[in-house]
Amino acid sequence: MSDLLTYGPAIGTASGARGRTGRGRAALRAVLRKLTQLLLLLLGVSTLLFMLLRLAGNPAAILGGRNATPADLAAIEREYGLGGSLWTQYWRFLSQAVRLNFGHSLFTGQEALGMVLTALPYTVTLALAALVTEMLVAVPLGVWLGTRPGAAPRRAAAGVIFVAQGVPGYLVGLLLIELFAVKLHWLPSIGEAGGTSWIMPTLTLAAYITPRLVRVLAASVSEAMAQDYVRVARAGGASPRAIAFRQALPNALVGATALLGAQFAQLMSGALITEVIFAWPGIGLLMINSVQTLDFPVVQALVFVVAVLVFLVNSAVDLLVLVIDPRIKRGDAR
Amino acid sequence: MSTQAPAAARPRRQGGILAGRSTRLTRGYSGALRLGVALAVILVVLDVGLPLVMHLNPGAVNLFDRFRSLNTPGHPLGTDDLGRDVLARVVYGFRWSVGVAATATTVLILIGGLAGVIAAAVGGIVQQVVVRAIDLSISLPYLVIAVVILAVLGHGFVPLCLTLGVVSWPIFARVIYTESRSLLQRDYVLAARLAGVRPYKSVLTHVIPGLKTVTMVMTAFLFADMIVAESALSFLGLGATLGSPSLGTMLSDGRTYMVTAPTLTVIPGAAIVLAVITANLIGDGIAHGASSDEGQFE
Amino acid sequence: MSGQAPVALRAEGLTVVTRRSDGREVALVREVNLVLHQGEALGLVGESGSGKSLTALSLMRVLPESMRQQGTIELGGLSLSALPEERMRQIRGAQMSMVFQDPLTGLNPVRTVGSVMREALRRHRRMTRRQAHEASVAALRSVGIPSPQERLRAYPHQLSGGLMQRVMIAMALLHQPAVIICDEPTTALDATIQAQILDLLQLRVASASLILITHDLGVAAQACDRILVMYSGVIVENGRTSEVLDNPRHPYTAGLLAAAPTLDPSRPGMIPIPGSQPAPLSRPPGCAFAPRCARAQARCHREEPDVTTEPSGRSYACWNPHD
Repeated sequence: MSDLLTYGPAIGTASGARGRTGRGRAALRAVLRKLTQLLLLLLGVSTLLFMLLRLAGNPAAILGGRNATPADLAAIEREYGLGGSLWTQYWRFLSQAVRLNFGHSLFTGQEALGMVLTALPYTVTLALAALVTEMLVAVPLGVWLGTRPGAAPRRAAAGVIFVAQGVPGYLVGLLLIELFAVKLHWLPSIGEAGGTSWIMPTLTLAAYITPRLVRVLAASVSEAMAQDYVRVARAGGASPRAIAFRQALPNALVGATALLGAQFAQLMSGALITEVIFAWPGIGLLMINSVQTLDFPVVQALVFVVAVLVFLVNSAVDLLVLVIDPRIKRGDAR
Repeated sequence: MSTQAPAAARPRRQGGILAGRSTRLTRGYSGALRLGVALAVILVVLDVGLPLVMHLNPGAVNLFDRFRSLNTPGHPLGTDDLGRDVLARVVYGFRWSVGVAATATTVLILIGGLAGVIAAAVGGIVQQVVVRAIDLSISLPYLVIAVVILAVLGHGFVPLCLTLGVVSWPIFARVIYTESRSLLQRDYVLAARLAGVRPYKSVLTHVIPGLKTVTMVMTAFLFADMIVAESALSFLGLGATLGSPSLGTMLSDGRTYMVTAPTLTVIPGAAIVLAVITANLIGDGIAHGASSDEGQFE
Repeated sequence: MSGQAPVALRAEGLTVVTRRSDGREVALVREVNLVLHQGEALGLVGESGSGKSLTALSLMRVLPESMRQQGTIELGGLSLSALPEERMRQIRGAQMSMVFQDPLTGLNPVRTVGSVMREALRRHRRMTRRQAHEASVAALRSVGIPSPQERLRAYPHQLSGGLMQRVMIAMALLHQPAVIICDEPTTALDATIQAQILDLLQLRVASASLILITHDLGVAAQACDRILVMYSGVIVENGRTSEVLDNPRHPYTAGLLAAAPTLDPSRPGMIPIPGSQPAPLSRPPGCAFAPRCARAQARCHREEPDVTTEPSGRSYACWNPHD
């Protein structure tokens, strides 16, 4: 017999040798890179807003609204720094944005950023509720569809999901209202009033993202089912349920995590209409109201906050993927 | 036999642009493509043909003929709150929505395709800038940005198409960029370059033809997205101008009368869903057809 | 010679059928009879596509969903072919286990080695997490893996192919099964590691019965007591290793031997067999090997050869065998 005991490849040493300082520096560099990206993003967004405001004609007139007097316009020009060359205006605009000074709402007179931050929690909690709902539906459904995609009832279900993916989320909202508020009088259809008032907006928002996740999970579960480790588990006596949930699902979930960032952005888009339909006091409704009344300070603050929020969520998702996918951890993947 | 190439050894990032849109779940893909094309033909024929064989006027208001039910003589799909013919409005609204979606898709494919190919082919600072721009803008919720731009640009066909195209190009640009990069790194392209073929010629002869399938698939999917986005914006009152019928506007109007006249919501809603499913079927069909073709060579 | 030890595993008339998309049924494995004695190492040899792996999967009753199997399987007197799936699951991994070809894809890439091993242990035995961990450490140590604690925390991609195959063998041995089936266990490994893994198999599996699937006659010669040669889904020759390799009866076995590389200067070696194995659908009438066979006669192209069994127990399916 050969010398079994002396055999052993060197593992662990490569990653161990990089030491703590090396890893700390890498983390610092990653954070700095993310911060630069955020600054670039905000610069881009501000520039876009600045140009839009000028594109639309005389910004003071837009900001002042239709009934502004010349005295009002002069005051607005002063408050928003609309005098001087385009470059000085741009510079002033940026420096105000840096100080998070977006001015005051033209209608309520409240601080624009304050209004946004008041509305934000309603949207974020609704988005989280939608994400949880999505998981509760998509994980079991995706596993069920993915483990035996050829079976007849599952093929039918996959067809239904394909159709569901083609139904815009706000249509789902309208149908829900029709059914539960109008016909059955079970649920309130308007406003945030605790408890049951959350159900329909949550379902509507979840409808934007769930069919897609179901299909992604089902596809990656069915792909995993064809892998060698599933055969090994089967030959080792694992039950179909254990194979689905302990072998195929972990893989599928690791893959699906990367989708979360894009889904959050989709939720923000979906929130616009969902909040209008249900008169939900979040930033989506605030956005539509402000856009329709051309309340630009509020619109600016909104776009700024949404950009930062989406960016933070995306960064968090990137980090999460690093943490849960062992294959790209610590750079010791082959 | 049972020893397929092990795919699990390579770490695979799922959740790409195409993930979940084209999956192995929808069986019978050539069937999906055939069904999609058939649906598309039927929808187009109906939309073009109905106004030729019937008298359809989407704008004709008749306040004595409001809220007619289905199968009313002269109004097969009934009338709305202003007595306008629902069939006429769906036919013209569909035309509007598809027109906007098709134009917006063309705009975004031109912008995104050019940006993607150029970034991949030119390299250097251009590549850096374009890739950064794609990365940053792709994460923004595009409906939010569209709403802001439209608020300033105003309503109507041209602003709507431009806005939708401009806010959604990064999705397509990223796909094209990735695909072009991988095509440019193929051995035969490198060989051509070593043989003295000019880089731009490689792009024309090797890269552009190689992008055909992914472009077709993405066109179908993005078109579906644009239908939804257009109807959403019109629903919010930011898309179609007053008077021009859009499926989204119809939904928004019909919503008020959901109790008394649910068909005013259901009919335009169904038209939107049909258009989206048709596009998704075609995209899925092409995507699978292409992947099984490739599979034969692997 | 046969019959000296009790029978561990017996299969009769084992047939694997798949249904093609046009509805036609194709037999991928036909009427395989197989007897494995206790403590014996049986080699299943043949080109890829000959049905070796499918035979192994059907013995465990873990064929892909698209395939169906017929025939009887008995494990130590217990009829497996009649067993409900639920009971069969209790047999797999506990009384009968399997080692696959590619160790790197055999474990879940997003789970640690330890987590998969603990699951495999607790599947068949009531034990705490802690006990399962200790049993895993012992199992890894028994197959010669140094610092097992560390390896249990590792993910598959962090281990080498040889190490992973040791893990897979350790997993197959966890419940001291009566029969272990190894499907090309060394094919995906470097040549130097191959020998170590073979040694390990012979050493560790000595108490159990082993079916070793390989396309490499050298591996079979080193590790097996008896050899079955498969061609196009059928067993064409069956006998003790020395008999079959020194004095092959079937021309296909002889061809395989002539095609194998050799270090013996008195033999030429590396003479390829002309043609290629027929696909299951285009199998010719008569003997499937006839079109490639230098000894083929008219009868070979018409009639499938009967199985001839010699007094020594060796058998072959050929109309015109070598003496």
